[in-house]
Amino acid sequence: MPLPPHLQPSAPPAPDRRQPVYALVGNPNCGKSTLFNALTGLKQKIGNYPGVTVEKKTGTAWSQHGQPLTVIDLPGAYSLAARSPDEAVLRDVLLGRRTDTPMPDRIICIADSTNLERNLYIVHQILDLGRPVILVLNMMDLAAQAGLDIRVARLSEALGIPVIPCEATNGRGLVELKLAMSRPDLPLPRHSWSIPAPIAAAVSELQASLVENDRRAPLIARAEALLLLTDQDTVRVAGSTTLSPRTLEIFQSWQKRWGTSGTDWAGSLVQSRYDAITGLTANVVRQATAPAGPNTSDRIDAVVTHPVWGWLVLGAVMTALFVSIFTLAQAPMDWIGNHASLLADAVKHRMAPGDLRDLITDGAIGGVGSVITFLPQILILFFFIGLLESTGYMARAAFIMDRLMSRVGLNGKSFIPMLSSYACAIPGIMATRTIEDPKDRLVTILVAPLMSCSARLPVYLLMIAALMPGNQVPVPAKVGLMLLMYALGTLGAFGFAWLFKRTLLKGEPPLMIMELPPYRLPRLRDVLQQMGGRAWIFLRRAGTFILGISIVLWFLAAYPKASAGANPAQQLAQSFAGRAGHALEPVIKPLGFDWQIGIGLISSFAAREVFVSTMGVVFNASADDKENTAPLQQAMGKARWPDGRALFTPLACFSLMIFYVFAMQCMSTIAVVKRETNSWKWPIFQTVYMTGTAWMLSFIVYQTGSALGF
Amino acid sequence: MPKSSQHQPVQVPLSELPVGSAGRVRALTGEAEVCQRLREMGFCESAVIQKISGQHTLVCQLCGTRIALSERAAQHIVVELIRGGS
Repeated sequence: MPLPPHLQPSAPPAPDRRQPVYALVGNPNCGKSTLFNALTGLKQKIGNYPGVTVEKKTGTAWSQHGQPLTVIDLPGAYSLAARSPDEAVLRDVLLGRRTDTPMPDRIICIADSTNLERNLYIVHQILDLGRPVILVLNMMDLAAQAGLDIRVARLSEALGIPVIPCEATNGRGLVELKLAMSRPDLPLPRHSWSIPAPIAAAVSELQASLVENDRRAPLIARAEALLLLTDQDTVRVAGSTTLSPRTLEIFQSWQKRWGTSGTDWAGSLVQSRYDAITGLTANVVRQATAPAGPNTSDRIDAVVTHPVWGWLVLGAVMTALFVSIFTLAQAPMDWIGNHASLLADAVKHRMAPGDLRDLITDGAIGGVGSVITFLPQILILFFFIGLLESTGYMARAAFIMDRLMSRVGLNGKSFIPMLSSYACAIPGIMATRTIEDPKDRLVTILVAPLMSCSARLPVYLLMIAALMPGNQVPVPAKVGLMLLMYALGTLGAFGFAWLFKRTLLKGEPPLMIMELPPYRLPRLRDVLQQMGGRAWIFLRRAGTFILGISIVLWFLAAYPKASAGANPAQQLAQSFAGRAGHALEPVIKPLGFDWQIGIGLISSFAAREVFVSTMGVVFNASADDKENTAPLQQAMGKARWPDGRALFTPLACFSLMIFYVFAMQCMSTIAVVKRETNSWKWPIFQTVYMTGTAWMLSFIVYQTGSALGF
Repeated sequence: MPKSSQHQPVQVPLSELPVGSAGRVRALTGEAEVCQRLREMGFCESAVIQKISGQHTLVCQLCGTRIALSERAAQHIVVELIRGGS
């Protein structure tokens, strides 16, 4: 297979032709994202690496001479030897193995100065690549507080590259970094370290083969050879080019040779690299003053990771999260809802009655309006998650949850994806990329959509409103019912995780090794920026996907036209949507749902919140024209079975809520799971098990309830 | 102190190190892959670890950073108790 031009080893980057590409690399929690934001400001593009849901963040920075520079923020990692898809993307971009991303011309390594030794490990691996590197020593202020004296000039001299002390949070050192980035010539690293003798032979043979058979530049080939030797269980992700058979053969023969002799070659390689780093830091880092007692982080941790207090703090944080979602969001939600109705009314007055007017008011405004109403809640949720992440509390929450998670065979790291899934399963599933064990990752992906996401909120809220109408029912009862739904979903997720770890995806309980970053004051700008990005994704979806579905639904409910003089109810029964609902009715009747709810179930397979807009279309269509923009729940209250029984009885509403807790009603999630697991097998399995469970539980609830006379 | 040097240094898995005391990593046991990850995270031979809390999931301090480890991960790390703390 011919390689694309940017992978040709002989072709040097052409700085005159295209924008130079800088890659940001560093450990997790070293302040990489803050530096990326500081360098690129708001000029960022967040996307995905094709084939994997690893977030690809690129931005534009400006050199001192006003030239645009492309900056790629790569996922944080401790080593180039990849254990998770996240780290695999980092490695593949740096080695030029990805066809979708240009190989970076220059690499900016960021290291946390308070822990230079460990942070230099990946830096050291990157220096092996023989490419221009700028080393940024971040958090110099914290290092000084910890009594560390770092001789930056010495480090720069020893490595032969620019080393820039920096405090990304307050912008100190940024000018120097930009100056270094603007330099037309950057020196190549001249660090040295001795590869253990028995390994050296293997390295040179692999290197030769990589140059010859895989067309790598010699230095890259050496680095890749070293990496292969510490990367036994290479994580291959979609979108990266594979090795030539010859190189693989050489690699496997060495592997076999060492396997029989019992040499721990990976271990000795890591050890010799650390020895080289220790040699470096011995001359560079001085413990000037002994750190004075426990610092603020230690004192906070004494409470937050305490076996008793820790749980209380976590409980309080979660309660605050949910209370603010349900209270703070109310006013803006009402405002949005009212304005959507006002807009629909205004259109009604100005346009002549007809299909086009109905399409705009009932289809577009009604459908999209009912979904946008939930934007405030989604904003609050993402704000909280961003806040928890940027303060460093999220890692503590994972630590506390580890005990609970290990009961069902998962580790604390699965908690973050599951918590994110309360907002939306898609970022949740994307967050699983930090889970190293592929089985644990798959189990987490399979159960994450059971956590009640914000798209279910509209359905729950509508059902609760129908179930407990008006102000007769005290708020605590409503909140209690809502929490019950969340609890059911969460219990379901844990239950299924337990089941899957014992049956389908048997495996040892995972080992968890996780860094607890020091507590920091949240950077509001970063939190808001992240929240804005997520909200934009939601709005874009409402403006395109959901708008489209609303219009299609309106069409399906309005055509084919019934004979002249038919009332709206007859029209709906006669329409395409009505026919599909009727076809589904026998399956869902035992759950207490009629064909009109059936239409909602079918359309909300696209996305759960569409159920609300569908109900809007369905019941507005069957109501009198005067009441077109009347509150949906009133229209629903009037809905009847053909024999005159009320349709939305409390039991039917409850059954419907249970159905939505468990059913896989989200095309986007299915698409993400497909992309993430690289097969249709898992998303199909997931859909079947979730919707199957939903049907059974709703059946049990409705039938038991009916028998008991509810 | 000549007395203490006569004692054979005590080697225990990190999971059994008393809370509050410090240990020096002596060996990593178990699968090569786990060992490598531990080494890359800084749990190298001769690194000094201080155990901060340790019920089920334990927290330790290693070169100025806090790391949480599950008990099973900690069993792979054999440490030598450093008398008198770090």
